[in-house]
Amino acid sequence: MKPPPFRYAAPTSVEEVLGLLAANADDDPRVLAGGQSLVPLMNFRLAQPGFLVDLRLVEALTTLRADGDVLVIGAMVRQSAAERSPEVALAAPLLAEALGYVAHPPIRNSGTVGGSLAHADPSAELPAVALALDAQLVAAGPGGTRAIPAAEFFRGPFTTALEPGEILTEVRVPRWEGAGGHAFVEFARTHGNFALVGVAAMIELDEDIVTRASIALSGVASTPVRAVAAERTLAGTSADAATIEAAVNAAADELSPAGDLHGSTETRTDIARSYLRRGIKLALSRAQDRR
Amino acid sequence: MDKRDITLIVNGSPSMVSVEPRKLLVDVLREDLGLTGTHIGCEHGVCGTCTVLLNDRSVRSCITFAVQADGARIRTVEGLANGADLHPLQDEFWDKQGLQCGYCTPGMLMRACEIIEQNPDPSPEQVREGIASNLCRCTGYQFIVEAVCAAASRMRGDEQRPHQATTPTEAKA
Amino acid sequence: MTTVSRPEPPPARTHKEVRKWIGKSIRRVEDPKFLRGRGGYIGDMTLPGMLHAAMLSSPYAHARITGIDTAEALAAPGVHAVITGAQAAELTGPLPDFGPNPAAHTWRCLAVEKVRYVGEGVAVVVADSRYLAEDALALINVDYEPLPPVTDMERALEEGAPLVHEDLGSNCAYERTFQFGEVERDFADADVVISDRLRWRRSGGQPLETVGALADFDLATGQLTVHTNSLSFTSYLFMVAGTLKIPANKLDIRPMPAGGSFGSKLFATKPAVIAGMCSRAAGRPVMYLEDRVDNISNCDHHGSDRVYDVQLALMRDGTMRGIKIDTVDDYGAYIQFGVGHHGNALAQVVGPYRIASVEYRVRAALTNKNQQGAYRGFGSEVNNWMLEQMVDKAARQLGIDPVEIRRRNFIREFPYFIPTGNVYDSGDYDGVLDKALKLADYDYWRAEQARAREEGRYIGIGLITAQERSVFSATEFWFWFDKPGAPVTSMPESVTLKVDATGGITATLYSCAFWGNSPETMVAQLVAEEFDCDPRDVSIVYQGSKNGLPATGPGGSRTTVMLAGAVEGASAKIKAKARRATAHLLEASPDDLEWVDGGYQVKGSPEARKTLAEIAVMLHLFKHSFPEDMESGLEDSKVFDHPYTTMPSADRKDLGVFYPFMGHACHVPVIEVDIETGRVSFLSYAAVHDCGTLVNPRSLAGHIVGGTAQGIGTALYEEYVYDEGGQLLTSSYLDYLIPTAMEVPELKFAHHETPSPWTPHGIKGGGEGGRMMAPAAINVAVNDALAPLGVRLTELPLTPDRILAAIRAARESPR
Repeated sequence: MKPPPFRYAAPTSVEEVLGLLAANADDDPRVLAGGQSLVPLMNFRLAQPGFLVDLRLVEALTTLRADGDVLVIGAMVRQSAAERSPEVALAAPLLAEALGYVAHPPIRNSGTVGGSLAHADPSAELPAVALALDAQLVAAGPGGTRAIPAAEFFRGPFTTALEPGEILTEVRVPRWEGAGGHAFVEFARTHGNFALVGVAAMIELDEDIVTRASIALSGVASTPVRAVAAERTLAGTSADAATIEAAVNAAADELSPAGDLHGSTETRTDIARSYLRRGIKLALSRAQDRR
Repeated sequence: MDKRDITLIVNGSPSMVSVEPRKLLVDVLREDLGLTGTHIGCEHGVCGTCTVLLNDRSVRSCITFAVQADGARIRTVEGLANGADLHPLQDEFWDKQGLQCGYCTPGMLMRACEIIEQNPDPSPEQVREGIASNLCRCTGYQFIVEAVCAAASRMRGDEQRPHQATTPTEAKA
Repeated sequence: MTTVSRPEPPPARTHKEVRKWIGKSIRRVEDPKFLRGRGGYIGDMTLPGMLHAAMLSSPYAHARITGIDTAEALAAPGVHAVITGAQAAELTGPLPDFGPNPAAHTWRCLAVEKVRYVGEGVAVVVADSRYLAEDALALINVDYEPLPPVTDMERALEEGAPLVHEDLGSNCAYERTFQFGEVERDFADADVVISDRLRWRRSGGQPLETVGALADFDLATGQLTVHTNSLSFTSYLFMVAGTLKIPANKLDIRPMPAGGSFGSKLFATKPAVIAGMCSRAAGRPVMYLEDRVDNISNCDHHGSDRVYDVQLALMRDGTMRGIKIDTVDDYGAYIQFGVGHHGNALAQVVGPYRIASVEYRVRAALTNKNQQGAYRGFGSEVNNWMLEQMVDKAARQLGIDPVEIRRRNFIREFPYFIPTGNVYDSGDYDGVLDKALKLADYDYWRAEQARAREEGRYIGIGLITAQERSVFSATEFWFWFDKPGAPVTSMPESVTLKVDATGGITATLYSCAFWGNSPETMVAQLVAEEFDCDPRDVSIVYQGSKNGLPATGPGGSRTTVMLAGAVEGASAKIKAKARRATAHLLEASPDDLEWVDGGYQVKGSPEARKTLAEIAVMLHLFKHSFPEDMESGLEDSKVFDHPYTTMPSADRKDLGVFYPFMGHACHVPVIEVDIETGRVSFLSYAAVHDCGTLVNPRSLAGHIVGGTAQGIGTALYEEYVYDEGGQLLTSSYLDYLIPTAMEVPELKFAHHETPSPWTPHGIKGGGEGGRMMAPAAINVAVNDALAPLGVRLTELPLTPDRILAAIRAARESPR
């Protein structure tokens, strides 16, 4: 399982990256971030890019800072660095928690935040988190820079809004102020494996009333999805057991996940129900603790 | 295909090698540098058999191109022992029988190094979760957890134990 | 019961009372090289000028090969040779095949006219590197004419099913019904018959190291040397030479340590043949090392894949009378070991119970999948699972406590001949059960289970008691046939011991004895016990087949017992010579000498003594100090044949003794089923194994824990899944799910030692035991947990899909 040959460059600036992608546009060029998804595909020869542009020396892509109310994470920030980062813990604890579920620590040492988002695996954790937090994904391309809302970024399995020649440079995560509780939970058959279902939940309380709920699911569709019906069911309520159940049902009724050898549609729906319930309860209890 | 000259600092020694960009780090270590201690298990980044430390962080060398490691400090199993003296992890794996076929062992040892370096006093549960990244088909993991905990304890200096020499005539426990 | 005239068993041995090294958990002598990354596995080996082979495999489950164009591949950079299946059929003969009809289900290293499963090899490329070889694979053009695949074993047996082998005329490679004892009478006398249909799906060893071979054909001498991580049944290697079309005495296969096997490196000849063929074609050494996809799809060692229709006849008090077993086994596209997996089942088919009669119908179905081989238990673990599900069902139906029903049926007198003719040498099933109940804190968990049920939680306890046979005989290969073509009876293991002039001992082993078991440590401890030396001073080396003595290698948990016999035999010969030499040197009578503490001395006069070193140096260097007929040197070998094998009766109502050293275990997992998700988690797991006298308790414990982990995989996670079209859906570790450290609980284990009367020191084999128990125990536990919901699961693995579907079904039609 050896990868096919490719030409390679390791530039140091975003401009150079874009230039190389443009210059080699006919040769199926791709960027190489952490490689934790791309290299296995290449070892299987399912991906055969003719040109790889390695991003590891582009320092501009490794930023990690708070910009007012927004947490800015460079696309090449390693997942393990983000997981350990005090800035992330403070500004986006949902992201910090979700990162702990991405594969295994050795994968996270190489894997990048941007790489996972741009890869857009329907079972992946970070796309669901980006969706739940209404993140903006910033792309740079020949036409300049643009910020793409998460809700528009994930188009299909392994398909994003990035145009050919465009790369993700950073993700901008708005901070939840106030009494917000976070929860990321997921079900995988074996530890660290691809999840059948993941739930990213944020719940904000004012006194006992849910003022804001943001719930995204991974693994249940061809992209991460917001459980809008569940969010609406919870909003303005005290989120008692019956309401939570109603929210779970509202979400589950909208689901029709594709089945495969690891879980049929019914199994995935049952698990989604179970984990929605867990995620909502955990986010709620953390919101209650934060008041 | 064009080769690139890269420098890998392996177990403290810099080596310059000329490699195709597509050559995997595990193959460069094993073939170009003759360090066959790092093994290949799956070649798609799931089993962890190929684990090495790159700038003190564990990585899967079967899904890392060697060119991505240009200039990096790499630690492999060959760098653990100090001549005749085994590293406490190696000695504890031996003592607790944390290996049977030995194939996952180098990767497991390097991952265990990272676990202890990041947390010098891990609980058995933390060790078990930490090594979940590395598959073992022989041991069922139990004696590996014991070995890693015992090694961590020694490395903290909790226990004074003479290093086990590895020549049979000297090692009469 | 039919009385059968049986040959006398061997005399019962007396075992040494005080042992110095046997029973000690010393550090394994194998380990330092592995710890330092100097294991010397096949992939670590290079030879000057070495080339690399890669295999092109079929994307179709069933298709005719109508054309294959290799011109572009041959012209690719670094390529030295491209060999198609048709070309391979000229260069090589069929692979060694112990199946029922090798001429009709002919198995070759590459497919010739048609492919029979996804992953079957179609061509090989030999190039400067594996990278370049794989580049060239993409340039080979194969024209396929797809054929309808057959993937369901029961449909494969129906009229009109597409044939996997046209020459066979059927997809039923073998069918036979055996009857042992008075089946119909026992069923007529019984109060109740419990029936069930059970399904065990295929999983496999999946060691982290794949199979590989480095072959070097020397044109000058005609000698083919192959280094490989599979060297077993060395007496049968002439078949491999035949395949390679070279004289048997020109083939040398040299063993390399194997990075795990679990059966899958048992007589794995295909990589050696591929490498050998390529070396000859290319005129250079060639390495063929499977990659992971090659191994998963083409290893020829998938595990058992069975459907059972079983009936167990019992009295109302739970005492079992007879059992009728009807099983269809999906063997895949070839059947290299015949139905040997069912021989392993028949060795212990009644478990630890006094069941007097057995009807066993086996049908071997061929389908478009990779073939079965060996996987830890070799088919007996499936029988354990099946039998324990039936005992569990019977207990529930009759309202008898699961512990009690077992006690009412335990065999308590040994040696005990079971209806098939095999013998259980010794055992103490009550002792093991008592120990296990205590270790498991059984009463506590029963109370917890009840308490949890009130909270709406589903905890289950999976108590099972089952056998783990060890050391198979050769008769297992052929007692399936009334007129076997080759009724072989040799299945030995050999050891040579050499004492050098300093008294240092070297032991030579002749098979790929090392799979991750501990043959070197076993031999070191056994030799130390014989000669009173330190095991760490014993040097262990391996010898290739050319200059090797007959050796079977590991499998069927036989290595430790067989090595023990070989060490004992070789030691006896050495001691006999040493005694004679000492007698001569001390001018004493040999009968007046006794072996004490590393030397021979005159009984009653301990100062008249010669140590082994003193004897050895004399024998090596001072010929004239000894009689005419005494040769210089101090070295001897023992070819240790199976110590207790008897022939089957002509009518096959008695298969003879073929697996006599019978271990036993009790596993007690406590699990919880999350009925929302179908996840099974472990709350506790206790296991007690009885493998006779233990050589290195810690080492055996390691194999028990590891085997249990694999059993957990088989029970909950692992399956080679083929879809209806024969596509292998689990072609990588992304989908073939191997348990991590988080899926395997900490095991509370204990040993029980009931020595065998017939083996050195009373040792029994134990390498397979953990996996032979865990699937049975976990299935029983899950059913115990879900019984209140009216759910009973009878299909492995117990995936969330199967568990949730069963719960849903039970809710929709409550009984």
